[in-house]
Amino acid sequence: MTTLFDSTSTVKSELSKQKYIASDEIATIVYLSQKLGKPLLAEGPAGVGKTELAKAIAGATGRELIRLQCYEGLDESKALYEWEYSKQLLYTQLLRDKLNDTLGSAGSLAEAADKLAKEEDVFFSQRFLLQRPLLKAILSEKPTVLLIDEIDRADAEFEAFLLEILSDFQVSVPELGTLSAKHKPFVILTSNNTRELSEALKRRCLYLFIDYPNLQEELAVVRLKVPDLNPKLAQQAVEFVQKLRKSDMRKSPSISETLDWANALVALNASNLDKSVLDDTLSVLLKHEADLQKAKRQLNTPPPQQRPKNNNNDDFGRFSGN
Amino acid sequence: MESRILQLIAALRASGVRISLAESAEAFSAVDLLGIQDRDQFRLSLRATLIKDVKDIATFEKLFPLFFGSGQPPQMGGNPSDDMTPEEANMLADALSQFGEQLRQRMERLMNGEQLSREELEALGRMVGLNQADNLNYQDWMVERMKRAMAFPQVQKALRELMEQLAQMGMTRERVEQIRQMIQQNMQGMQEQMEQFAGQRIAENLSERPRSENIDSLMNRPFNALSDADKQLMQREVKKLAAALRTRIALRQKRAKTGQMDAKATIRASLKYNGVPMEIRHKNRVHKPKIVVICDVSTSMRFCSELMLTFLYALQGQVRKTHAFAFIDHLESISEDFSGSNADEAIASVLWRMPSGHYNTDLGWALNNFKDDHMETLNTGTTLIVVGDGRNNYNDPRIDIFSLMSRRAARTIWLNPESEFLWNGDSDMHKYKPLCNDVLKVSNLRELANAVDDLMTR
Repeated sequence: MTTLFDSTSTVKSELSKQKYIASDEIATIVYLSQKLGKPLLAEGPAGVGKTELAKAIAGATGRELIRLQCYEGLDESKALYEWEYSKQLLYTQLLRDKLNDTLGSAGSLAEAADKLAKEEDVFFSQRFLLQRPLLKAILSEKPTVLLIDEIDRADAEFEAFLLEILSDFQVSVPELGTLSAKHKPFVILTSNNTRELSEALKRRCLYLFIDYPNLQEELAVVRLKVPDLNPKLAQQAVEFVQKLRKSDMRKSPSISETLDWANALVALNASNLDKSVLDDTLSVLLKHEADLQKAKRQLNTPPPQQRPKNNNNDDFGRFSGN
Repeated sequence: MESRILQLIAALRASGVRISLAESAEAFSAVDLLGIQDRDQFRLSLRATLIKDVKDIATFEKLFPLFFGSGQPPQMGGNPSDDMTPEEANMLADALSQFGEQLRQRMERLMNGEQLSREELEALGRMVGLNQADNLNYQDWMVERMKRAMAFPQVQKALRELMEQLAQMGMTRERVEQIRQMIQQNMQGMQEQMEQFAGQRIAENLSERPRSENIDSLMNRPFNALSDADKQLMQREVKKLAAALRTRIALRQKRAKTGQMDAKATIRASLKYNGVPMEIRHKNRVHKPKIVVICDVSTSMRFCSELMLTFLYALQGQVRKTHAFAFIDHLESISEDFSGSNADEAIASVLWRMPSGHYNTDLGWALNNFKDDHMETLNTGTTLIVVGDGRNNYNDPRIDIFSLMSRRAARTIWLNPESEFLWNGDSDMHKYKPLCNDVLKVSNLRELANAVDDLMTR
């Protein structure tokens, strides 16, 4: 595999060219994953940019992004490959005459069977193999980035099936044998942590936990993605979102929702986060009625006055007690 | 460095993080790649390769600095007597002389601004039993005990008096304040030293602790003979077992789908291909049972209800619909608690909501609650599972309601941790048994696994 990023700082700069702001943590682990040739398992709450990371990596390396969206009931025929039975059948029909020609000259049944055996491969060749994302990533002529999105939605047995691909980058097709990758794809798995993944799968991956960003990071993302929003408003908006995340919401607003909201603010030409603007746009940020009510209540009642921090540590105060 | 990393891995394992050999090998290649110059990158390369679960990150972040400390000794305030005028030094000596011999030595030790030496720390550690501690939760407590061994509280009090004394003797306020701050800094520094030392020692103890016992013996051990530590281990095992079972059941359910051919659907599909049956359609015979669980969480059952709940929770994906109820003296629906993604939290919240009392189990009343409010959850497709020991404190067993329920449900199963010859005294099991399709004894993990497997096959 050709080297894509030659240091953690290049990871950072290349990703930022794709408008993805990578923290040191993300940059280091992406670099490691690429160097060790190991899949990257990105976990974290919804909407913190896990999928976006894969897209940014694909963009930065100029590779094609192949995406496999997982869901309950996903199986091999949807994820890996499928034989095109109808096409095979159609071919047999169409080629009947040709078969007659070939087999007609055969003297005995055994000879005919031998002749047929020679042609048999025609029907189980890659011609009739419908490539699904996983096989496509493995057989691709050019190196690719393979994104297996929301693996936690797939069934546990599907995970087991992924193991062969993730550790050896090869696929066994019973009729054809083992197909190994021409180029090792850069594999990224994402999970929203709705269920625990199997130990075996985790063992094969490098683990990256992406959490909600802090104020500076989120502000940087907003400034980068929504440059039209005026800086003061951006600051206010991000502070507001951060505050919402701290309170107990049924669904905390994600980065993508912050961005949607920022875009909404731009579209409305808002200049200040006043009550009417919030009333109009808060539903972009919060998707549950209960959350909306709660946020509005919080807005109307000013936060309790913070008591001034007690800074005089006389009496050797901090040694007493705990 | 290698041995230090290995120690860290051992300590992580001892704290309950699962790390395979492959992963530790991986950690070394990652470290080879990124080097150890940059502490942050070093930490991340270990973390990305060793830790595969969010909840283990905290353990890692706690242990890592203990093995690869920042390397900086804590800041000491210095010795206040260094830049004292002779009369100030005299004043200090005067003021000090009022305290008892031992206390004075301790105060002087604090005042000379030197760090604790390795020997002193070792001695302190021995005094407080640090070498036996192998749980990081003890760190703060150990530090507290070390501070007490150094007589910090008394020294603090004495120092306060000393300061007053000095002020009275005519030392300037700023000077007193300066001395106070220096001493405070010294104490702070010593405390940090103790914290570091205690943490490191505990972590090292952790890494030397022998591997925990074989899980096989746990499988066969009765639930009520489990210690708390065993129970944690067991929780993990339960999850693993449930995962294995889940795969098996899912496979069975999937195969069930492709069993019988659906002639009607196949003919319909063949129209597309000019009557040639190109696509064979199968009957969708989904085998997922609907389950209603009634679980006893009273004192006599507490030890096993937790594990049973974990198990049922883990299997949720494999059943069409679960209605879960818990009871002690009355019935409560706990399905709501189980809708989240975290089994431990769900169970904790249930057990917290329903604190156990003494001799207040009343299944009869719970059944009455069920009849009043939840009877509609039972129908011909439902399997009713009762988890309990059937000990009713001589209350009315309400056999009438139970027979009604078992008639409505497709199948009634009773999981009881007691074997049949123990059903005496206040046990109503003999009355309930004829109304159940099955009464299974579930007193250890293996029996629980078998019972659930059995439940899913029919």
